[in-house]
Amino acid sequence: MPDTLSLSFAALADPTRRAILARLASGEATVMELAAPFDMKQPSISKHLKVLETAGLISRRREAQTRPCKLETAPLKDVSCWIEAYKHLWDDSFDRLDAYLAEIQATATKGE
Amino acid sequence: MSTIFTITRSFAAPHDLVWKSWSAADQMQTWWGPKGCTIEVRNFEFRPGGFFHYAMRFPGGDAMWGRFMYREIAAPRRIVWLNSFSNEGGGITRAPFDMAVPLEIHNDVTLTEQAGRTVLVLKSHPHGATAEEEAVFRDMFASMEQGFGGTFDQLDEHLATL
Repeated sequence: MPDTLSLSFAALADPTRRAILARLASGEATVMELAAPFDMKQPSISKHLKVLETAGLISRRREAQTRPCKLETAPLKDVSCWIEAYKHLWDDSFDRLDAYLAEIQATATKGE
Repeated sequence: MSTIFTITRSFAAPHDLVWKSWSAADQMQTWWGPKGCTIEVRNFEFRPGGFFHYAMRFPGGDAMWGRFMYREIAAPRRIVWLNSFSNEGGGITRAPFDMAVPLEIHNDVTLTEQAGRTVLVLKSHPHGATAEEEAVFRDMFASMEQGFGGTFDQLDEHLATL
């Protein structure tokens, strides 16, 4: 399995790339549009977009000349997914621990 | 190290009883693990550097293996360990299903007695993440404590505020 989680994190670790994703959350945008708020040349923005695209966080349309970028939320969902799952594992386990502790204490009391 | 999530639970049991439930194989087996699975203990070494190696068996499914590697044990109040999936031999593996899960998760549990009850605090975060990755975790999932459900809409909204 490719290490998509590491890829996502590496991609998200940069503030410019997070700002690009935030912009794309409100709709598709071209490289020109994405470069506008930053004090950066287009090639620098393109480099960031390449990182985001490799991590699967954005996709780019092939057909249009300007190749607009689109936010892909699935990898971000993956990132939040394990956290949710792991938290659930513990919540469920602690429910059982609670019941188990009640049970052994009831047994101990009965035996006295 | 930043904590990704904290779970606090108060148990109606004395401190030593809660500690025992973490420190013996037959007790861990009764309560720990994913919902609906049976834990089969392969190895249980409750000491720093020791392993709790187990199979998670789900009805009608293959066993998934996992392990705790204990790093710190301060009886009767603190346990620190790394949790990961493993193979049958106890070596670390990736999650056996199609979900991006960190290779190892660092856990830190503390127990304190309060008026006859025991308060447990569990703090977890991925092990081996870089400072930058940790920052991303903090930024993106700080709101989970307030019930962030990880749904698309909420994620989009949250992203928009970054």
